[in-house]
Amino acid sequence: MEFVLSQLAGFGHAFGALVADPLTYVYLLGSVFLGIAFGALPGLTATLAVTILTGFFGNKIPLDYSLIALLGAYVGAIYGGSYPSILLNIPGTAASAATALDGHPLAKSGRGGEALGLTTTASFIGTLIGTFALLIFVWALLLISKNIASPEKALLALFGILLSGALMSEDLVVKGWIAGLIGLAMAMVGMDPLLSEPRFTFGWSYMLSGFQVVPVLMGAFAIPQIIAGMRRTQAGTLTQLNDRILPSFAAIRRYLPTITRSGVIGTGVGALPGVGEDVAGWVSYGVGKTVSKEGEKFGKGSVEGLLSSETANNACIGGALIPLLVLGIPGSPPAAALMGAFMINNVIPGPTLDPSIILRVVAILVLASFTMFLMGLFTARVFIRILRIPQTVFLPVVLILTTIGSFSVGGGINDLYLMLGVGVVAYFMNMLAFPIAPLVIGVILGGMFDEMFRRSLLLSDGDLSVFASRPGAAILLALNVALIASQLPPVKRAFGRMRQRIA
Amino acid sequence: MDEERLIMRARDFWASIALILLSLFFIWRTLDIPLSGGTQGGVKGVEWFNSAAIVPLGIFCAMLLLSVSLLVRSIREGGAARALDAAGLGWNGPEAMRFATLMAIFVFYVVALVPRVDFVISSGLLITALIFGYHTGDRGRMLLATAAVVVAGLAALLLHFPQAEWNAHGDDWIALAIWAGLVAWMLIVARGERVARITPLIAIAAPLVLICAMAFTFRQNVPNRGGLIFKQIEYHFYVTLRPLWRD
Repeated sequence: MEFVLSQLAGFGHAFGALVADPLTYVYLLGSVFLGIAFGALPGLTATLAVTILTGFFGNKIPLDYSLIALLGAYVGAIYGGSYPSILLNIPGTAASAATALDGHPLAKSGRGGEALGLTTTASFIGTLIGTFALLIFVWALLLISKNIASPEKALLALFGILLSGALMSEDLVVKGWIAGLIGLAMAMVGMDPLLSEPRFTFGWSYMLSGFQVVPVLMGAFAIPQIIAGMRRTQAGTLTQLNDRILPSFAAIRRYLPTITRSGVIGTGVGALPGVGEDVAGWVSYGVGKTVSKEGEKFGKGSVEGLLSSETANNACIGGALIPLLVLGIPGSPPAAALMGAFMINNVIPGPTLDPSIILRVVAILVLASFTMFLMGLFTARVFIRILRIPQTVFLPVVLILTTIGSFSVGGGINDLYLMLGVGVVAYFMNMLAFPIAPLVIGVILGGMFDEMFRRSLLLSDGDLSVFASRPGAAILLALNVALIASQLPPVKRAFGRMRQRIA
Repeated sequence: MDEERLIMRARDFWASIALILLSLFFIWRTLDIPLSGGTQGGVKGVEWFNSAAIVPLGIFCAMLLLSVSLLVRSIREGGAARALDAAGLGWNGPEAMRFATLMAIFVFYVVALVPRVDFVISSGLLITALIFGYHTGDRGRMLLATAAVVVAGLAALLLHFPQAEWNAHGDDWIALAIWAGLVAWMLIVARGERVARITPLIAIAAPLVLICAMAFTFRQNVPNRGGLIFKQIEYHFYVTLRPLWRD
């Protein structure tokens, strides 16, 4: 209890400092508005919002303010995806895909305002649940992480890439793993971290410093969206709102158990390395369908179904920041973009991270969720108007944003070539159903994996048992082996037979 | 097995072959770095376990194995049988043209226009071309929009290819003329369309606001500082405007 109180006191101090600074509100209002607009526009994602703002604010303003801008956009964009899901039946972001199943039928039956109001409230409470978990668990994990050495770090990075590949792949798991390996391979370009031996530079001096994170993120997330979105699309029919958006207290109280359960699920899924808000939304929706009394109504306009996914995807934000801040392993694709912002500011997330940054992140998340809540309830009609903007009009502007963002971070035209090259590769990967998130996680964690893997072997004089000699390393090794083995055909067949026998 | 899945397996066939070739190429390149006993980055007597080659070698070998497993799966599930058939691959002529024209626009914008032509002009031309060319999905408009960006890009490459000439303005004038022509054509052929009326406003305002914010608010490096329009903006910002609040 004393620990929790001391954390709350630290948070109170950071929160007070943030509230007293007038510039906080400028960045907060601007970024949350921009985030909701990005989320609301189908074709733009939360990851893209955070990536573009990383290009703009990453290393141009003090880290404290850039964190406000990036976290504000992150919170806003995940929530903003619910607008087109409910009103157009088109998920604004992948995280809101499950929302459309119940949100749109509710809107069609004349309960669109109620759906939006409850979604806003649930997203707000979900973000707070994730943030509270971040405040408490990050410290407990930080204490444990002090004992994490090179073998554990290498195995954790590998686990993050494998897990992300396995869970983010829509087609075959092997495709997710190949995507992760492509990302790892990209991270090998440039001087190696131990001996400074140039690798795969092909005589080009620009490659010596390796691939820059921001152009890679811009290319991976923006270019495929722009290529895919620049086409004539039939404008969806916007469902009219006839009821009030502000939810009643009785309704909130009624759905509080669903919101709390989904918040906990979302936080838990978010804490898994490399697994994003979309997985959190679907997992929570699936659990809700199983445990809810109105499970059979899910998909036909159930408020519980709507809140299950919407709470979880926002709660995922706090969860995704736990592995990022504790171990330097992003918990979701937008968290990977956030890590890019840390990296270009020379801040290394992990056990050595300044604790005041963590408290500030928590305080920003609380303020951002309040801002999102107020904007969602009182300016919802502004965002509904944004839904009418065609993709072919805003995507060219996004291209300009990514171009100038990529250029300004590195200050060179080579970064634009890199952005375009990665973008084309990412577009084909999308077309071939290879997920992009493991690639980005691979690029970000590749350097760490390389350094930690070789350092472990160097310290053990080449003895491979170093990866199983400590309890933490042995557990992580077992998890990695189990994850790989679970995809082997004989193991899959054996599990299938076992399932049949149990059934 | 449904049609969509069969198309995916046919595509997987070619993707896995490309990945196998790529893995083999990079394994061969990695073998250039000595695994043990050599000198790396000035360090003598490097062992296999701290060699710069060990991790990349592991990555590319794993990629080779996974690519082979993907190939085997695609062959087993009928991907190879459909791989030489355009319809089997889900090939779509209009979609291929849309992608090819977009790529031409992106490549000429990034490689030719951004480094050589004023950012406001090159981006204004890009925004106009993309909205005009792709909003209605009309094939003729798509080709005209692509031609506008490609011609402006080619002019920039031919007139001022070396980096020493990137600040010259000949290509800026050509790109500006092409942009003005495209806007005029758009306003004639699409006069009834609301999007056509707002496109010039977006095309001017978006790059102008962005470049000014980057250069004067965040004080960042921006592309082509010596460009036709930005040079004037920068001059008047520092010479005409800034003294107003500095004095």
